[in-house]
Amino acid sequence: MTEIVSPYLLFIGLLIAGIGVAVAIPRRRVNPQAIGAVIAGGGLGLVLLSLALTNPDAIPNLHFYVFGVIALGSSLRVITHPRPVYAALFFILTILSSCGLYVILAAEFLAFALVIIYAGAILITYLFVIMLATQAPSEDRIEVLAEYDVAGREPVFAVTASFVLLGALTALLFTGSATLESDAAPGDEAARSMAVMELMPGKAERLLREQGAIGKKDMVVKVHAAEGVAEVQTSEALTTVPLPEGVEPTNVELVGFDLLAEHPGTIEIAGIILLMAMVGATVLARRQSELEDEAKRRASEAIAARGGLTADAVIADTDGEAG
Amino acid sequence: MDMLTTLAQADLPAAMAPATLAHYLFLSAAMFAIGLIGFLTRRNLIVMFLCTELMFQAAGIALIAFSRFHMEQTGQTFVIFVLTVAAAEAALALALVVLLFRRRDSLDAEQWSEMKG
Repeated sequence: MTEIVSPYLLFIGLLIAGIGVAVAIPRRRVNPQAIGAVIAGGGLGLVLLSLALTNPDAIPNLHFYVFGVIALGSSLRVITHPRPVYAALFFILTILSSCGLYVILAAEFLAFALVIIYAGAILITYLFVIMLATQAPSEDRIEVLAEYDVAGREPVFAVTASFVLLGALTALLFTGSATLESDAAPGDEAARSMAVMELMPGKAERLLREQGAIGKKDMVVKVHAAEGVAEVQTSEALTTVPLPEGVEPTNVELVGFDLLAEHPGTIEIAGIILLMAMVGATVLARRQSELEDEAKRRASEAIAARGGLTADAVIADTDGEAG
Repeated sequence: MDMLTTLAQADLPAAMAPATLAHYLFLSAAMFAIGLIGFLTRRNLIVMFLCTELMFQAAGIALIAFSRFHMEQTGQTFVIFVLTVAAAEAALALALVVLLFRRRDSLDAEQWSEMKG
């Protein structure tokens, strides 16, 4: 029953949301953006309702709805706000609310990384470029905006294409989610975190020393996570000590071990990508005047070749004349 | 010592239900669609690149949701690489935008419409 009803509810919701987004896109004369946003919100709400109705036992907690509504609403404002600076600020709000979603999904490390890298670094770069590359409004007409910011191009076509894509993607969710089984058996996860725990004898040693279970000169040789004990080398003999509280790996440690143990080659590639981006950006953004200096130098070399002077002497000569 | 409760962040269930995952995937798909609409309709070069960042962000949410669903860290590792690519893209794209702005004194993408491939 629900499998028959929900896709239609989904498509109706998406249609309403699509009309709302199309209305909200900036255009030249009549521009009822607030009405469009309300319609879009209603449509997306209908879709979320139909998702919740499909399986009432498994609705996510309240925080998902709070952060999700902020994320979608501010991302709608990113694409509809006529002023680029405000669009960038709303994008920061989108980032912050998706960080909230990351925390709900138990990815704390990435939530912090996202705030620092995206909201802190990338978006500030965007703001600087917006400030550099936007004409100052003229004194008498402060509120005037550039023509290309007020008028969208082909809103109906773009909204249709995107929402057909969205409908096709999400219809698969309804029909396919029953077959979507998590392959994570509870034992798997415990085994994986135990394997990580065995790679961290230093942490076990530090915790044991803090709790006074081992002496200052004793060393943890090996961690046997399955038995819950650590092998300790004291000055006299090799003994076993039960593992301390709090030795379970945290999110940062799990991500770190996954990153370094499973994907070492990808880190190298990421480093090369960043290096190439840095070199490329430096070359692209170089000032044009440097090219002119280069041309001057070539010209002075040509003069020097004719007159028998060295290039440096010609430059010194011209500099002297200029001074 | 219930390791699973620690990993599952106290009051969260140990494994996420597929229907809960569907909510996150819908959110991610909707954000991607909004970014795509923005990329197609806006004519300001900087806002167009902001919209690609929005699409990166949507992909990140889907990756994190799957990482939680399968209870493993590979999805989170991939988001780190998505961040790397986004940073590289921002650096290059903004350098290009500054260059294009110096040529025409305008951020309008239509100004460059004679550049046909």
